[in-house]
Amino acid sequence: MAESLQDIQKRIQSTRKTSNITKAMQMVSAAKLGKQEQLNKGFQVYSAKVREMVVHLAQTQLALLEDSDMIGTNSPSNIDFHDMLIERPVKKTGYIIISSDTGLAGAYNSSVIKTTIDMIQRDHQSPDEYIFMAIGRTAADFFKNRGMNIAYELDNLSDQPAFDEVRGIARQIVEMYKNEVFDEVYLCYNHHINTITFQYRAEKVLPLTDLDISEAEKLDFDTDYIYEPSKEEILDILLPQYAESLLYGAILDAKTAEHAARMTAMQGATDNAKQIIDDLSIKYNRARQAAITEEITEIIGGSEGLK
Amino acid sequence: MAEMRVQIVAPSGVIYDHRASMVSARAIDGDISILPNHTPIILPLTIHAVRIKRISIDAEDWVAVNGGVLEVRNNVCSIVADSAERARDIDIERAFEEKHRAEESMKRLSGIKANLEYKRASISLHKALNRINVSKNKRV
Repeated sequence: MAESLQDIQKRIQSTRKTSNITKAMQMVSAAKLGKQEQLNKGFQVYSAKVREMVVHLAQTQLALLEDSDMIGTNSPSNIDFHDMLIERPVKKTGYIIISSDTGLAGAYNSSVIKTTIDMIQRDHQSPDEYIFMAIGRTAADFFKNRGMNIAYELDNLSDQPAFDEVRGIARQIVEMYKNEVFDEVYLCYNHHINTITFQYRAEKVLPLTDLDISEAEKLDFDTDYIYEPSKEEILDILLPQYAESLLYGAILDAKTAEHAARMTAMQGATDNAKQIIDDLSIKYNRARQAAITEEITEIIGGSEGLK
Repeated sequence: MAEMRVQIVAPSGVIYDHRASMVSARAIDGDISILPNHTPIILPLTIHAVRIKRISIDAEDWVAVNGGVLEVRNNVCSIVADSAERARDIDIERAFEEKHRAEESMKRLSGIKANLEYKRASISLHKALNRINVSKNKRV
């Protein structure tokens, strides 16, 4: 007998305790995931609205940008393009990496960090060309431990982050972009597809180049709009709000993926624990049976000897 | 009676969606009232109360709006703000707490007026006062 009956029993008990914990964590994550999906639904309405307004207001500027792209000449200098719309030569790229604060979320964190690093190594030659901003402690610690400098760090987001929590970093990033700390910004995060899958995404947030003129034409706005005080001044207010909503949307998306990943990981752990308990139970029963057989053999042997 | 739809949207979802006969708000250069069938307009708002005269009941709804943009199109008045709260949803104690905190930090930072943090504190004081003011106009 390799292990005593008691040893096996202890192992079964401790595995069972662990599986209770992972099961509880799985259920907590499932509840959070449900709440998060609700929040996302509300936010969709908001982001669609903001985007619609931005597209509408920026329509003329976008049309001109598109034309100048096609001709390949510089845009006419008499028009004051909003600096968040215009692309400038890229000297430095900012990467915002969204990770989680805590572990036990399966491959969630490692996948976002690894894919980002791969992408950066492919796209850049020297470390002077990029700068990191980390949301979530895991990514922040990872880059700090490797001596890479982080321009901004945001930890301890709540499970259902409020817009206010994100506004600080969004402002900061827009500010840094305007001060030409970097010339473009990418958001790197895991996009939530469904409960068991997420997909890595790197999206360009600044300059706001994903706005499309055809979208505005589709919406077909009235021409006789009143703009108070002027289109440009409204854009000044609306564009930062749009950038903030992009960032907030990505964080919500990443959080959803995080809860889903944690739920799946914990489900896997619970299943594995169950498998171990089953195996150990079989082992335990065999050992018990062996002990009984041995005892019987001894008794029979003993009684034979008495004859 | 002429009517329009009023919709207030914040990142947390649709805050308000009702039919109304009048909307009053404060734009950056003064107060504005929107009546049904208004011509299409877009204008930014300041941190202030938005008052909506309802069609079905003889009452006004107050909503605290932190800036944002108001747009009228197809007889729908939509306000998109980065935060908005109806009078009945406002946590008055928290608003007072925020007011107190903002005042404290303004006191601490006074003297260095150009300070960014001073500005930030005065904005949050403004928001808190707005919310307190709005929540006083709760319908019962």
